[in-house]
Amino acid sequence: MWWVWSAGSRSLYFPPLESIVKALWTQWVTGPARAELASSLEHLVAGYAIASALGIGIGMALWSLRYAREATSPYLYFLYVLPAPVLVPAAMTLFGIGFSMKVVLIAFAAVWPTLLNTLDGMRGVDAVKLDTSKVLGLPRWRNALQVVLPAAGPQIVAGLRNSLQVAIILMVVSEWEASTDGIGYYIVSAQQSFDYVGMWSGIIVLAIIGIVANLLFVVAEDRVLHWHYGARAVEGGAR
Amino acid sequence: MTIRGLALRYGLRLGVLATALGLWQGLSAVGVIRADEFPSMTQTASALWDQARTATLWTAIGQTLEGWAIGLAIGAAAALVVGTLIALNAFAYHSVIGVIEFFKAIPVIAILPIGLVLWGATLTMKFALVAFAVFWPLAIQVCYGVRSVDPVVRDTASVLRLRGPRKFALVIMPSAAPFIATGLRVAVAVALIVDIIAELIGGGSGVGVRILIAENAGPSAYPVMYAYIVVAGVLGVLLAGAFTVAERYVLHWHESQRSAAGDKQIYPERTEVTLAASLSPGRWPGAHPGVAVRRPARRVVGVVGWLEVAVFPAA
Amino acid sequence: MTTPGMTPPGVTEGTPAPVVSLLKVRKVYRGAAGSRTALQDITFDVARGEFVCVVGPSGAGKTTLLRCLAGLMPPTSGEALFEGTPLRSVPEGIGVVFQDYGRSLFPWLTVARNVDLPLRVRGMGRASRAARVAEVLASVGLADAGRQYPWQLSGGMQQRVAIARALAYRPDLLLMDEPFASVDAQTRFELEDLILRVRESFGVTVVFVTHDIDESVYLADRVVVLSRSPGVVTEIVDITLKRPRDQIATKGEEAFARYREHLLGLVMAR
Repeated sequence: MWWVWSAGSRSLYFPPLESIVKALWTQWVTGPARAELASSLEHLVAGYAIASALGIGIGMALWSLRYAREATSPYLYFLYVLPAPVLVPAAMTLFGIGFSMKVVLIAFAAVWPTLLNTLDGMRGVDAVKLDTSKVLGLPRWRNALQVVLPAAGPQIVAGLRNSLQVAIILMVVSEWEASTDGIGYYIVSAQQSFDYVGMWSGIIVLAIIGIVANLLFVVAEDRVLHWHYGARAVEGGAR
Repeated sequence: MTIRGLALRYGLRLGVLATALGLWQGLSAVGVIRADEFPSMTQTASALWDQARTATLWTAIGQTLEGWAIGLAIGAAAALVVGTLIALNAFAYHSVIGVIEFFKAIPVIAILPIGLVLWGATLTMKFALVAFAVFWPLAIQVCYGVRSVDPVVRDTASVLRLRGPRKFALVIMPSAAPFIATGLRVAVAVALIVDIIAELIGGGSGVGVRILIAENAGPSAYPVMYAYIVVAGVLGVLLAGAFTVAERYVLHWHESQRSAAGDKQIYPERTEVTLAASLSPGRWPGAHPGVAVRRPARRVVGVVGWLEVAVFPAA
Repeated sequence: MTTPGMTPPGVTEGTPAPVVSLLKVRKVYRGAAGSRTALQDITFDVARGEFVCVVGPSGAGKTTLLRCLAGLMPPTSGEALFEGTPLRSVPEGIGVVFQDYGRSLFPWLTVARNVDLPLRVRGMGRASRAARVAEVLASVGLADAGRQYPWQLSGGMQQRVAIARALAYRPDLLLMDEPFASVDAQTRFELEDLILRVRESFGVTVVFVTHDIDESVYLADRVVVLSRSPGVVTEIVDITLKRPRDQIATKGEEAFARYREHLLGLVMAR
């Protein structure tokens, strides 16, 4: 529909879809913009990996350290709700405009959903499971790793998904101003040089990244949480 | 949980805050944090105070909230309508669901340039973006909620001969309410984030713009910039908290609010008594009957308890 | 039929030491709503190899008693001894089967892995673990279910898995908290017979909490009747019905009906 409707467009702002798709090919698939894509994805993967590891790790630590948890939980929540893009200017003054700024920013923003969901998930584990674990004689470490962590699995995964979305947003936003590479940079400079075809192509690439990331996540989630969905399906069917 | 335990908990929290602030100030004073890169704690605090004293802080907050509220209202209303419609009509569902899932996966940041091009740095751009960001996931959530009405509940409605609009209002909506509430809670937070991003990057007016202006003004304005960053965070906490409180009142009858009620029968020793619950009998549904406390103290503690629940639902 | 106080708790001349010993056990819950005395003065013993059922009206603190016996909960006062030592935490040598198998079994592990878990904790080698898992699953009639997930099985089968898991490490004492309450009547009879067979072959002492009088008479050597809160032992009834018990024959005996009537009277009285 979009193709047909925009085919005859003379508008500067909404160029025909055909030319956008051409630009997609020439720039992104075979052309110079590939470097931008690679650069952005590098930042994303690095930042997200750090955020996931820290999120789960610190979440577990806080679950077992009661006083640390009680003392810090309001501040964790504050940081979770703080709109992370707000920190871009701050990050730029502290880390410059290179690789580390972006990765630190992405990691910092994306850690909170995972952290809080891990913590919440672990705390919310069914009391019957905890009793069973005690009765079976599981020592503390086994209990934490082999009972509480899997039981909290679904919620942790929800947190990871949330974190991924945040990471993607920060990936773009961190490249928006005063950056020298990345998709965000590409879109901004295209817009500023009135290259609207280029701008649109960048937007579509972003959309594709979002969709692909989502798909990959769904696939991974299905494998890791198959037991959860299986059990749910049985429950639902029994009703 | 005793009064002593609660005092300890809040003492710890204040302690952490005081230590963090003190550390910040200390590092600035000593020079580990360089003055031209990062302001000291006192500078930021006084900048915040200055802004609060004049009208600027409050206007900025008002401007941000404008975009947030309008965008949220439009997006949520549209999502409620569309979500319900596709949930009730199988044909509509199958034709439209793909599109919605597709758009939901697009990072909203990708739409920002389009918004800028169409509307420039205006309020319209902001609330349009917010509405767009809020709509897709919420529509799916509403649809899911309406479709998830327990078949037993549905059957009961049939047996009681409830049909049409009455059935919808009395049976379907309340059943779907918890799902819708979850979706709205997320939407409230997302709306603020998108709103501020739009201001930060697109321009216009509001808290995000203040941060942008301060950043461009150079190191001398950094205290103001960080002051507004703090404001953004506090705004987020307050809005999310207000929503949680509202949700509790509206959905007090639902299991998720009564949550561990069942387990309390079997595991009474695990009951965690928060300040809110123990000292505000009947202040909101689900609270425990109160521990004896002198009248004036009870008032104050009740307010504090209410604040605690409002501000730190995760705590 | 004995009443508490006539048989002194603890060791008597010539009898082996009891597996479980409760002496004036009292449990008080202190909540925001004031305190509630779930158990007031519980005193009885369980001898090795005995099958003891605990019955009482709902809310009588039966589950509380079981949790004290498991070491999950210390009593407010009084002594709870397991094999002569006071219970401070969950001791080695106890198995527990909870009522809600759906919440007790771990859904991310297969049946075999669920049963295997307590063995791994105890450091058994891989080969011996596999053998033991196969053995115990066979004894509950689930020899082929190892590879499946618990939620793929029916309720009765899931509870068998729970029983298998509790027995896998050969505990001295098996505690069961209304284990067959969430299961349909037919399956319940099968499971009752299963637990009697299992007790024979494993030689384990059983304390079985139930609200079903018929079940308690059918299974038990002795039935402990608990009163409503504050819970005290109303009476301890010796069941002298012949073993092995049979669903049809035993339940048809006149003695069965008399025990049943007596117990129902006690439970429904207050």
